[in-house]
Formats: sequence, C-alpha cells, structure tokens
Amino acid sequence: MAGIEKVPAPRAGAHTVIGSSIVIDGEISGDEDLVIQGTVKGRISLRESLYVENSGVIEADIETANVEVSGQVTGNIVASDKVELKADCKVVGDIRAPRILIADGALFKGNVDMDVKDTKGK
Amino acid sequence: MATSDGSTIIGESILISGSLNGDEDLTVRGRVEGTLTLTKTLVVEPTGIVKAEVQVRNCVIAGVVVGNVTASESVEITREGRMVGDINAPRVIIVDGASFRGRIDMGEVDVEEDQQRSARSVTSSRVSVPAPAPRPSIRPAPSPRSAPVSERRVEEKAAASAKPLAPPAPVAMGAVKRKVIVKRK
Repeated sequence: MAGIEKVPAPRAGAHTVIGSSIVIDGEISGDEDLVIQGTVKGRISLRESLYVENSGVIEADIETANVEVSGQVTGNIVASDKVELKADCKVVGDIRAPRILIADGALFKGNVDMDVKDTKGK
Repeated sequence: MATSDGSTIIGESILISGSLNGDEDLTVRGRVEGTLTLTKTLVVEPTGIVKAEVQVRNCVIAGVVVGNVTASESVEITREGRMVGDINAPRVIIVDGASFRGRIDMGEVDVEEDQQRSARSVTSSRVSVPAPAPRPSIRPAPSPRSAPVSERRVEEKAAASAKPLAPPAPVAMGAVKRKVIVKRK
C-alpha cells in the first residue's frame, strides 16, 4: 500500500521527536508539533499536531488540535480540529473531534463524537 | 546537533513530566522533569531545562540541569551550561564560563592509582582534608633569635640603620613586640 510509511520521514515543522526506543511515563505538554515513534504512557496535551508513527505506542489520554495515528493508541482522544486514523493503526478509546477520518485498514474500537462545539478545546 | 532520525528531540515548548527511558540519543530544548534514563547521550541545549534525576552514558549540558547526574562515561558542562546537583561520572569536564554547584564524584579508581604515587597531594586537592599544608602565619618566630639582649640590641640597631624594615616576610606577632621593646630601651 502506498499509504504506509515504513521510514519515519522527519516532518517539516516538527521540532519534537520521541524516538523509537524512548519510553515516557508521565505527562507531555507543549505548543508545538510532536512526533512519537516510541512509547508514551500518561497524558499528552498539545496545542498543535500529534503524529503517532508506525512504531509509536501510546497509552494515554490525548488532547490536541490534530492527531494523526499510524501506530497504536490506547486512551481517549480529544482534538479541537481533526483526528485521522491511518491504515494499519490500532486505536482503542473514545474520540471526540469535529472532524474524524478513518482510513481503510484502520482498527478502531470506541465511541466517536463529532458533535463538538468550536470553542471546546481551543 | 544530530537531527537525523533515530535521535529524539524535545522541542522548546514541550514539557515532559514523569519518567523518560530510552536507548538513543536525546536532545532537550524544552523541559523535562522527573527521571531521565538513557543508555546513550543526553544533550541539554541552551534553551533546555532538565529538573530530573539523570542517568545516562554521556551528558552534555549547555542549558540548565537541576538534579543529580550519573553518567557511565562523561559529563560535560559547556560555556553556557548551568547545573545544580551532584555529578557521578568517571570523566567530568567543566568549561570556563560554566556554572555549577554540587558535588562531583569521579569514582575510586583514579584515587587508588594516584595514592601509590602521592597520596597526600591528591587527597588534599580532591577533598577538603582537615589538616592542609601549614599556613605561613602560624609559623613560630624566626629561629635565630636566641642571642642575649645586648647582642640583640646591636643587631636590631644595625638592622634598623641598614635596612629600616626588618625582614618582612616571616614576622610573627611575638617577634614584633619584642623588637619594639628593645628599641625603647
């Protein structure tokens, strides 16, 4: 499939990368894009985009503007803009966002709520 | 610094609180609080703030680190680096301009090697030993002062006329007092 990113390409504008061998247990917060190739447990809150790449494993509640998941996420996702579940991702948890995209091949279990007021999360 | 993939970068606006473990290089430009354990190199850039117990192989500090750092190889505090905490590493480099408060332990190996050569100098320079090298001010009065009073007076007069200031270097308080009394007589 063309959509699969085997090589984690460094994204433009992403200043923070959590590498594949990194395990974080706790809380991540910030105002910039975050690329996760490793493991994060706890909580993530950002004002920008979160990219969970193929090798990324998240067991955390997520609160951001955008989320793009190619890896695994266990936990609730709240996005003020958009959640995108790519092919081959695995997501277990509730998603709340005004725009939610689920690609063919994605695995998802949980509730979806697109009825989000614009002021929420901003 | 290395921005290629395989290395982790914590960006400027990011705060991580909790524990962070890993087997790759980590560059911190934001904040990390809690514990930080790596099997490779930690680089704290000038914008980076780490308030954590740090356990790594190598550590380069150009930002701020508050907490104890244990490194299996080396710790380097660069010119911009500031650190408060204890360092435990076999090699510690502190560059001119760096600021650091805390203890440093480079391990036992070096001390044992040096002890065979010159135990005292190493230990006194390394740790504050209660009995350091004798200070000059505590030295007793200069020894050649055992002559009787008359001879001493002559000596003093001669000394006073020839060189108005008696040998200034090793003057103990007792010697000065005695000299004054002799002159009055």
